[in-house]
Amino acid sequence: MVKIIVEGDDDKNLLIALLRDLNLGDKKNFPNYFETMGGKAKLLDFEQEKYKKISKQIELKLNNFTKVLFIFDCDFEKDDKKCGGFEKSEQCFNKLKEKLNWNIDIDYYIFNRNLDYFLVDTITPENKKQCFIAFEGCLKLKEITPNRKPIANLYRDLYPYKPYDFSHENFNLLKQKLTDLFG
Amino acid sequence: MNKNFLTEIEIKNFKCFDDFKADGFKRVNLIGGKNNVGKTAFMEACYINLNGDEQYYVNSILRVIRQRDKFFISNNLITSHFFKAFFFYKTSLSKTYQKNLTHIINSNVKTTSFVFEKQFVNTNIKYTLNGENNDINILISDIKESIKYNNYPLETNNKVISILPVGISDEIIVERYSFLQINNEEKILNDELKIFDSNIIGFKIIKNSPEIDYKLNGYIPLSQFGDGMKHFINIIISLFASNNGYLFIDEIDNGIHYTQLDKLWEIILTVSKELNCQVFATTHSKECIESYYRTAKRLEDEDITFIELGKNKENKIKAMVYPYDWFVDEIEQEHEVRGW
Repeated sequence: MVKIIVEGDDDKNLLIALLRDLNLGDKKNFPNYFETMGGKAKLLDFEQEKYKKISKQIELKLNNFTKVLFIFDCDFEKDDKKCGGFEKSEQCFNKLKEKLNWNIDIDYYIFNRNLDYFLVDTITPENKKQCFIAFEGCLKLKEITPNRKPIANLYRDLYPYKPYDFSHENFNLLKQKLTDLFG
Repeated sequence: MNKNFLTEIEIKNFKCFDDFKADGFKRVNLIGGKNNVGKTAFMEACYINLNGDEQYYVNSILRVIRQRDKFFISNNLITSHFFKAFFFYKTSLSKTYQKNLTHIINSNVKTTSFVFEKQFVNTNIKYTLNGENNDINILISDIKESIKYNNYPLETNNKVISILPVGISDEIIVERYSFLQINNEEKILNDELKIFDSNIIGFKIIKNSPEIDYKLNGYIPLSQFGDGMKHFINIIISLFASNNGYLFIDEIDNGIHYTQLDKLWEIILTVSKELNCQVFATTHSKECIESYYRTAKRLEDEDITFIELGKNKENKIKAMVYPYDWFVDEIEQEHEVRGW
């Protein structure tokens, strides 16, 4: 049994779609693989009740729980002095890992900036991506919400490989991490 | 939570448990797990431990034997191997059974242990209750009689009640119904029975016989109805009978339609709180677990747990005790909690 610890349902939905695409895991078990933490701050906080629950499951060797993969956003240093940006995200994660002290295989994957940026970057071909970006600029969406959620949602709903284009090279490392997890 | 409630237990060399510990139990506890993982054996261990008083202890062991044997073992099988088969089937001890092995069931309430000094016809049980040593001689022939006729007097603590999904006698129903009457709560049972079957007008004891007032037909003995309804009635009346005590319900949803489950849990959660009764129940059903979650959440009753029993890769039985928050989280994430 493996666990994938994520920030929220958007991550979980993307990863379930990716697991199906890669034909990894048991479809009936998909919900059991995931633990949604309710945001990055909670994911990096070792005192969360969910971590106490998982620690107990590991202690009991429940489901022969042997591997875990953490997946979360890097976000921006300007928004979070403590854990924002790639380097600090990694540092915060390493502290979490040390405090959890789980005696199982632990790996992590950090989305560049955040999941929505990551998805928008996977839009192909380039001229179509520019259409989305132009639309975003025209409506000044980044002034309303900096996380690119509206444009990412539009992409998920509309075009061109809805909901995701897993053949894009940006997915390669994530695919490798998931394959290793289930390997 | 009541300080007398069972909050932790340690079981060694008893039935399928070689060396088992669990803690964190609350007022109401639902137990899930795969077949043959030890859900009923866990409740039996708790039952024996809570009967850990001089006058009840050995009787509680024999009652557990009788209860199981009545349904699962033919009387002809009560032989020299009987105790071995009963207490150690499935464990690593079954092949290497040693008489004089100590069987321990300790909890925060009582510490109990026993030893069978012989395995044969005349068996001596040596036991220790809360640090005091005792011993008693038991004749296998007496136990056989007890199982055969179900009338061998085995008095146990009447505030520690164990119920199976089948097999309640009229006498027990009459006795337990009196607790409902003492509490003036007959209406609860009647109202629930009307939901159970819209043709039911009410429940009454008539000349020591439990009877159902059925539309058009008048009073009909309860024995004429299905096991599901008897189990439902048994749960409700036993809950009232175990005030300030403990109630163990095996296969709580057996024979009960899923649409009745929310109401049943509402009664259990509400009445156990009012009457200060600790409840342990087992189930295999996802619907029953979801109903338990839904009802506890609606009533904002956090004094509950869900206990998931399973075997790890070393084949040892372990209990994952989910307090309210963890249980809610597991159900809301659609995680499987019915054993591993």
